[in-house]
Amino acid sequence: MNAARALLGAAHAARWTALPPLTGVAMLALIVGAVIVAPREAVEGEVQRLFYIHVPAAIAMYIAYGITFVASLVVLWRRDLRADAVARAATSVGVLFTALVLATGAIWGQPIWGVWWAWDARLTSTLVLLLLFGGYLLARSLADEHDEQAARFAAIFAVVAFLDIPIINMSVRWWRTLHPQPIVLRMPGDQALPDAMLAVLAVGVVAVVLLALWLVALRADTEQLAQRAAALRAAVDRREDA
Amino acid sequence: MSAHDVLRAATPHAEPRAGATLGATCAVLAKDLRLLWRRRASWLAAATFATLSVLTYAFAFDLVTDDVRPLLPGVLWVTFLFAGVVALGRAFADETEQGTLDALLVAPVPRTTLYAGKLVAYFCALLAIDVAMLALATVLFNVGLLTPQLLLLTALGAAGYVSLTLLLGTLGSRVHAREVLLPVLALPLLMPLLIGGVRATGAALDLPHGDAPWLWLLVVFTFWSAAASALLFPLAVER
Repeated sequence: MNAARALLGAAHAARWTALPPLTGVAMLALIVGAVIVAPREAVEGEVQRLFYIHVPAAIAMYIAYGITFVASLVVLWRRDLRADAVARAATSVGVLFTALVLATGAIWGQPIWGVWWAWDARLTSTLVLLLLFGGYLLARSLADEHDEQAARFAAIFAVVAFLDIPIINMSVRWWRTLHPQPIVLRMPGDQALPDAMLAVLAVGVVAVVLLALWLVALRADTEQLAQRAAALRAAVDRREDA
Repeated sequence: MSAHDVLRAATPHAEPRAGATLGATCAVLAKDLRLLWRRRASWLAAATFATLSVLTYAFAFDLVTDDVRPLLPGVLWVTFLFAGVVALGRAFADETEQGTLDALLVAPVPRTTLYAGKLVAYFCALLAIDVAMLALATVLFNVGLLTPQLLLLTALGAAGYVSLTLLLGTLGSRVHAREVLLPVLALPLLMPLLIGGVRATGAALDLPHGDAPWLWLLVVFTFWSAAASALLFPLAVER
């Protein structure tokens, strides 16, 4: 237990020392790998290289929403507003990566499928995800930042939304059974990937997940500093009144 | 007045007993039904909105000339969804503003009872609007919609809808633009309800509907939303 706590503490401290350089190196490796090392895909051509951003961004998106879920449970359980800062940070990063997934998917879909958007189950549920957590951010921006009740309400919404994701995915997949699947709808992952492509994809996952974690840490620290500043300001006001 | 009823129904000293809990739920239910009756103007507004929505669809998609049945499930469920947003938008607003909610929260009863009473009251009211819309569509489009099957689907949908939307309705009054926010937050969450409802209604009308178990989707979603809301409601209203 103590070892785990020490490990967690070390990881938390490393967010400023280890995370930024690691992220930088990994992102550089991703760019070099995706543009130079990975072979040109025979059928899809250069546009296939988006795959090395698209898939890692999707993974980072789910990790970010997972952090939102856990942090929201902590808000409800421990009434800790610092966890609320983490939840808000993770949600904004999650929404960013959801938008990135949808954008890269559309850019890839235009030449490959011939359309920007297909009402495919996976695309549609990702769009619903964007709307769900976009709504969360909208609600947060309309409420007072340091309002504990607004934080609790947002945490409840985040928990419900996260638990709703499997039901949404299932219902959207069933909804699509009525329609014929697009013939070209095969993710490149369905084919056996050459080793070089797989290696670049692995680097991409590491790089993008590190980037997401770093962004969450940056945002969360900023939010927590803002909370402390607000608390200090309130304390100064109280002292001046007295 | 209303908080008083709840206080009287519960025993102030002992642990909340089953009888007291039921009594408190009934007191909350009676209070909410009375409130709904006094605020009938806003329910009339929701019903009028639903009627207008059906008419708008009729004009927009020319539902008069062709066989309307393929479009009817979608028209009906979108109408239910939007009418519900209008109807439930202020479910907690008046009580929050007038302090009734705070008075209710000090009653020595489990907070889930406050939720259960309100849930039943709003379920009845929304179901009344939905059934009225089914009757209206039956007359307007000459399709038999008041069947037991469709009534059951509508009741299931209304239950799932009200339970989740009521939880979101606790959104504190300190959030600006609450009326706009409620549909923005609720509608993506309710996507499975819409899909399941439309397809199950299509199945009931003998339309092509795919082979997924739509009724079960509706049932699972309704139970899930009721359970999640009942569990989270006490946290949502905590001060």
